Amino acid sequence: MTAVASPAANTFLDPAVLGKIGNLELLARSVVEGFINGLHRSPSLGASTDFAQHRLYMPGDDIRRIDWRLYARSDKYFIKEYEAETNTNLTVILDVSPSMRYGANAETGRLSKLTYGCFLAACLAYFSNLQRDRVGLATIDTDVVDFVPPSAKHLQHILHVLDRVERTGRDAKSAPGKSTLMEPLKKLSDSLKRRSLVALISDFYEDPEEILRALVHTRGRGNEMIVFHLLDPREIDFSFGDATNFIDMETGEKMPVIPEYLREQYKELVKVHTADLSKRIIGARADYAMFDTSKPLDSALFAFLAARQRFNRVR
Amino acid sequence: MNFLAPAFFAGLLAIAIPVAIHLINRERKVVVEFPSLMFLQKIPYRSVRRQKIRHLLLLLLRCLALALLVLAFARPFFERKHVGISATGAREVVILLDRSASMGYAGRFKKAQDAAKKVVSGLGQSDRATLVLFSTDASVATEPMATPGRVNAAISAAKLGSEATRYAPALKLASQILSASTQPRREVVLISDFQKVGWANHNEIVFPLGTTVTPIDLGGAVAADVAVSAVTTDRDSTGDRDRVTVAARLVNTGSAPKPVDATLAIGGRDVNTQRVVVPASGTKQVAFTSIAVPSGATKGVVRITPDSLTQDDVLNFTVAPDEAVPVLIVEPASPRPNQSLYLTRALEIGDRPRFRVDEKGVDALTPRDFDGRALVVLDEVAPPTGAVGARLRVMLDGGAGVLIVPGSERTETWSSDWRAIMPATIGASVDRSGDAGGTLSSVDYAHPIFELFNAPRSGDFSTARFFRYRTLAPAVGSVTPARFDDGSPAIVEKTVGSGKLVVWASSFDNSWTNLPLQPVFLPFVHQLGKHVGRYADPRPSFIAGEVLDLSRHGELTAQFTGGKAADTATTLIVEAPSGARERVSATGTNHLVTLHEQGFYELRGQNTAAGSGRPIAVNVDPAESDLSHLDPQDVVLAVTASSGQRQPGMDLNTATPQDQERRQRVWWYLLLGALLLMGVETALSNRLSKAAAT
Repeated sequence: MTAVASPAANTFLDPAVLGKIGNLELLARSVVEGFINGLHRSPSLGASTDFAQHRLYMPGDDIRRIDWRLYARSDKYFIKEYEAETNTNLTVILDVSPSMRYGANAETGRLSKLTYGCFLAACLAYFSNLQRDRVGLATIDTDVVDFVPPSAKHLQHILHVLDRVERTGRDAKSAPGKSTLMEPLKKLSDSLKRRSLVALISDFYEDPEEILRALVHTRGRGNEMIVFHLLDPREIDFSFGDATNFIDMETGEKMPVIPEYLREQYKELVKVHTADLSKRIIGARADYAMFDTSKPLDSALFAFLAARQRFNRVR
Repeated sequence: MNFLAPAFFAGLLAIAIPVAIHLINRERKVVVEFPSLMFLQKIPYRSVRRQKIRHLLLLLLRCLALALLVLAFARPFFERKHVGISATGAREVVILLDRSASMGYAGRFKKAQDAAKKVVSGLGQSDRATLVLFSTDASVATEPMATPGRVNAAISAAKLGSEATRYAPALKLASQILSASTQPRREVVLISDFQKVGWANHNEIVFPLGTTVTPIDLGGAVAADVAVSAVTTDRDSTGDRDRVTVAARLVNTGSAPKPVDATLAIGGRDVNTQRVVVPASGTKQVAFTSIAVPSGATKGVVRITPDSLTQDDVLNFTVAPDEAVPVLIVEPASPRPNQSLYLTRALEIGDRPRFRVDEKGVDALTPRDFDGRALVVLDEVAPPTGAVGARLRVMLDGGAGVLIVPGSERTETWSSDWRAIMPATIGASVDRSGDAGGTLSSVDYAHPIFELFNAPRSGDFSTARFFRYRTLAPAVGSVTPARFDDGSPAIVEKTVGSGKLVVWASSFDNSWTNLPLQPVFLPFVHQLGKHVGRYADPRPSFIAGEVLDLSRHGELTAQFTGGKAADTATTLIVEAPSGARERVSATGTNHLVTLHEQGFYELRGQNTAAGSGRPIAVNVDPAESDLSHLDPQDVVLAVTASSGQRQPGMDLNTATPQDQERRQRVWWYLLLGALLLMGVETALSNRLSKAAAT
């Protein structure tokens, strides 16, 4: 638990969150691959103490792996295979584009999507690290902003990066303009040498088709994807009062808006967008969960894990 | 409905502003950062935001307020048909007939009567006419309901007056009569010689709208006139008997010199006649031979050869021996040597007026001693009590003056009745002998006692030293015309009844002050005596139309009241030259006489035989001799519209749009309505904003 002792870890990992997630650990271990060490199966079979199966000897196999006892009984050469419990790579990709800064409110204590995403990324990283997984982090907007390669020793580094992102609002190196997932995800999947579990945290203000193309590219490299869709409550219910000017946080575009008359259509559009997104992502064999930043972080995680469990059972 | 400034309707375009606000919505300074406008941009813009109007009631209120504002600025008015300019219908005619003295010129008054009768003869069956006779005042001779016959009779009965011309009262009266009338047509006929001196533009007199004013001008031509404008009397007291020299001032307003015979008549007998030539547009002074001043008030007349205007060819006056002001100085039982000497001597010197001074010790005082006194000086004696005190009090209330010199008197022992009316509370005496005496430092030169000394080098009070004086605390309502250099009042006066009660803080001899040794003492004492004794210079004549206040002219009534100035019960008879009699009293409420007629009024007691009373000379106002002519249209224009609104030559019966708009003031109500709507709009929009915020 060295991470907990560090200042950065203390900032992100609320003990209450850890306690609740800790109670879910047994459940999670049985259904969620990659989240908790022992729950996800190794992507490749190898030497291990857990017997998996016998198979006929094929020329080229190591003769040391021949089960001689079975040969004595059956007069055939069988190779003994074992199920390996390996550590996986978890790469958390956090969208730090300007739109993610929305929602911070000092008066109400509400978190911005970016802060919420940082907390979520820290939780995921911590849990994975607890399972001896290799954990990496990438922050993206129009491009890859920061990349911490997956490693069992990079938790502190990751937490430090997250801390910096959360404090400054966004990474200073991020480029302005409309962010797209395609470019940074393509770069990241190219840089991931080993198959990884990729957790993508973003608000997904992009055409679902484009999003899906980016995800498919990553998924096609053999990576598993978990998509966390973060939205502020006001982005969902559009609860603005007087007519006013709205400024696009990413493009700076200005637009006079009378919320009263746009509300219903906007809500409908958001609903359609999330539904479309969810359908497409799940169709691409990735996990999807939409988080409302007004909800507590732990309950959001719990809901996601439960959903993951159901999803796994169906599959 | 018409508008004075229809150009303001361009302001109706401003209504587009609230509509635009409601449609487009005004841009707010506060902006909201939003993650992405991706979805908002997908919503059809025009169909939602520019075509739907929010809060229709608010929009209506704003538009209505703006419309009312624009309407108010356009100055609307309703054009009304004027009642008075109706071509048909019954008329209310007011005939203003000038009977001032100047109408006596060359038979103008007869012409005026004829003109008035002609107006009456032109009256229809349902017309009504009112005859108003005017000179200085105006009076209704016949009521509006009178028949033409009665009006004609009143015109015939009207007599030429002696008073001056004043148009304003007549016009005001006509305005009132017309305002009260319900007749559809209103008309004023002004018959006058339009003498210029009688006209002063009175903007406040405006006839009701539509009134027709018809001036009948009987003046016009250049009028030549010679008048006796003034008479002066110069007395000479050097001989055994006073003599008086009468001089008359003749004025010729004509353009040619005119020879006239000027005659002085005294007591009905011609004394002296002189033939003089009065220069054109000039004056001539005529000095008649001096005559002995008659023993009593006598009628005097200066007359010249009669001309076209006979009334100003005669000037009446009275000649009377000088009336001395009776003064009583009350001394203590054992006075200081020469205690009243300075005061007595100072009063006795001089003849305008003369003071007849008597001195008497307080111990020998009787009520009858006050009879006929205009001034009583209590020289270091307490105000008398008992019957003597009561009599003095009656005298005071009746108009006599009481001058109190407290000296060293102990005022605490004075009767409470007197102390209650004293103009000041008399305190301890101040001894200033140690510091070379005090001076009079604060003097009110506007006060009648000191106004004589107001001019430079007219009297120096600074040399007078006051070594002792009593401190005075003025009572409420009293006046302090002079103070010593330490601020203590030197003289305090108060009006009690009709008389004056005055306290002098120092003495009138040289025991407490050296004032009696100063040159200023004599005029000061004379002024003090005249003021406290309420002396008024006798007037040789009065002007017709003047109101004579008998309470202020004791010299006229003295012989009938027996010197009892306070006896208000004395009833007097005033007989006008025409023989009309009027009962009056010397003082009290019925002491005013209006002198209407030229000639000699006679004032006498009830038991006095006719002809033996006191004559009061009354003359025509000298201004009536100035026959300068006034353009009748000036009068007409002034009374038919407010000044500055109507130009000569305009149709007098048509009110200008400005007039109508000003009278109606519709814009004011519209403005008020707009303000009210704005208030409602503010309240409503606040409520809606709050509702939207929640």
